[in-house]
Amino acid sequence: MSSPPASPNPDDHTRRERIEQTIRDADRTRVALYAILLGLVGFYLAPLEAGLMTAFKTTDAFNRTVPFLPPVADGFTFEPWEIAFSEMSNALVNSLLLAVPATVLSAGLGSIAAYGLTTIDWKYQTALVALFVAGIFIPYQAVLVPLSRLYAIVNTQELLSFLWGLPMMHEHYASIINLIVTHVAYGIPITFLLFRSYYQTLSDEMIEAARLDGASVFSIYRNIVLPLSRPIFAVTLIYQFTQIWNDLLFALVILPSGGGAAAPVTIALNSLTGGIVESFNTQMAGAFVAALPTLLVYVLFGEQFAKGVAGET
Amino acid sequence: MAELTLDGVTKWFEDDGGRIVAVDDARVEIEDGEFLVLVGPSGCGKSTTLRMIAGLETVSDGDIRLGGRTITDEPPTTRDIAMVFQSYALYPHMTVRENMSFGLEESTDMPDDEIRSRVEETAAMMGIEDLLDRKPGELSGGQQQRVALGRAIVRDPEVFLMDEPLSNLDAKLRSQMRTELQRLQEDLGVTTVYVTHDQTEAMTMGDRIAILNDGKLQQVGTPLECYHEPRNVFVAGFIGEPSMNFFDVDLRNGSLVAEEFEYLLSDETLADVEGHDRLVLGIRPEDIELVGEGEGRHDFRTAVDVVEPMGDENNVYLTFADADRAVATDEETETFVATVSGLRSVESGQKVVARIPEEAIHVFDRETGEALHNRKLDRTEVPQPNI
Repeated sequence: MSSPPASPNPDDHTRRERIEQTIRDADRTRVALYAILLGLVGFYLAPLEAGLMTAFKTTDAFNRTVPFLPPVADGFTFEPWEIAFSEMSNALVNSLLLAVPATVLSAGLGSIAAYGLTTIDWKYQTALVALFVAGIFIPYQAVLVPLSRLYAIVNTQELLSFLWGLPMMHEHYASIINLIVTHVAYGIPITFLLFRSYYQTLSDEMIEAARLDGASVFSIYRNIVLPLSRPIFAVTLIYQFTQIWNDLLFALVILPSGGGAAAPVTIALNSLTGGIVESFNTQMAGAFVAALPTLLVYVLFGEQFAKGVAGET
Repeated sequence: MAELTLDGVTKWFEDDGGRIVAVDDARVEIEDGEFLVLVGPSGCGKSTTLRMIAGLETVSDGDIRLGGRTITDEPPTTRDIAMVFQSYALYPHMTVRENMSFGLEESTDMPDDEIRSRVEETAAMMGIEDLLDRKPGELSGGQQQRVALGRAIVRDPEVFLMDEPLSNLDAKLRSQMRTELQRLQEDLGVTTVYVTHDQTEAMTMGDRIAILNDGKLQQVGTPLECYHEPRNVFVAGFIGEPSMNFFDVDLRNGSLVAEEFEYLLSDETLADVEGHDRLVLGIRPEDIELVGEGEGRHDFRTAVDVVEPMGDENNVYLTFADADRAVATDEETETFVATVSGLRSVESGQKVVARIPEEAIHVFDRETGEALHNRKLDRTEVPQPNI
């Protein structure tokens, strides 16, 4: 872990000389390159940094100071975070209720579909694969109107009315179920494709060996293919979770206007803008609160994500 | 255990309206406990045949029977056949123990502790009991090979199928495993079909070998039958290393006439080739004798072109001489091979007399490739294969 300690150079002279020499020799273009790269890093991180600083400032301090400077003394406060959390806590729960099942379902179904269409041989599978792939290219905008019509006709709340009497259940979950169904359906083509390209790299002989060992189609999936799918599951889960967590469009179209009790975090964040007085600090804190789960997912599963993308098995 | 019968097994693939026949009307009866080697050049259909027996490939026509039961349309799952793949095809996420138990868990109702004891027993037999808790990725090629074999053996199937199982091993390990496999198969007495492209493996391992070319079965017989009494030119050329020398000849006045030589036949041989005049003369390299002087009717003056010393023997490439001309002018000449003792010194350019004894020659029809006359064998000298 620890890097070797910088060996104290006994001959400080030569070291300095060497450095000077290097600097003299340094290619001008190389210096320019690093300068530009540093500039870009600053450029991209500045809004983030300014946002973070703003989130810790009182409204007063925000008005008086430059956005990217840290808050000082009495300008420092946790209040925006407290407000953001309390305002959005319900929405955070909604988003979790939405994103977790939708992610798991779309990845699971994509994996099963890819197994059925890649590892097993049967007639007409090419046509089905083509359909799945075509699904990827359907733009969101094209399905918005049909979707809102669909959920106007299919009244989930009524259909599942027997559920709402149960403890821990609320009627607004019907809207969340609508959203889950939509996200799963819309996610399957891309998860299917991710799994398919991964399953194509699995050894045919290994699957054949399992068949000769007497394993059924389902048993091969459960005992051989699924355990070997871990890296690609990491990729798919992260990708889908981020997509679904960050989605605003479907939520706007499918939920009753304003989002109601079922509003996910994206809509709640939008509502934080609220009032006549812009409270930037609360908005910034809210943005960070909303982004936190996706960040966490990356931190927790980043290594496996990288492995999966690199195609390691 | 059971005998395995291929009855007119045919496989074709449809391809843009055309039909590509991969295996054409294969008929073999493999006895209970027999070790049959399917051998042939790559693309000859041997793997396809094996995969049809396994049930991994559908059969276009014909029947496969196992112990009297037709299994042609049965899925591989229920055939009670175990296969060893060239790539070993181990399950990388399972330990060796899990790899070996998987088949028993899937195909039988055997209780866990019985599976456990059988796996351990087999592992001990294969000498891999120390590896049981490791994963395939941590094993060497030879160890993986053993696990793959153990996985097949532990299931105690009716038939073993092996698809070039030794081709990923280095030469030394390969010959070691060859012997070991033979011993195992003898001990277990399980009917085995073994696919290889290596004629040495075929000769050394099989009770019988089946030679395939272009999807057609060329000959099925014991290794020595195939070696000494090949049914056609293909078999004669495929079995044996270095392979048999062939000369295109025409039959004229009781002699085989080629460009460079004339070979007088006895009446006995003539009777065999009667009615055919476009022929191929075949002679195995080890049957050609190199003598210093000779004027017999089957002695030919030749010059040594290249010598390949193998240690125990020398492969000597010869050209026919009136050969002063050929060697001197470096003209495009056809060579043929003779093997002589490794201790005998033969040098490039040297003139020698090659004696081609008539009792060792094979004669084939040039059009059909069919053998018309095979070498004479003193039957008592042929050791009977140990079945």
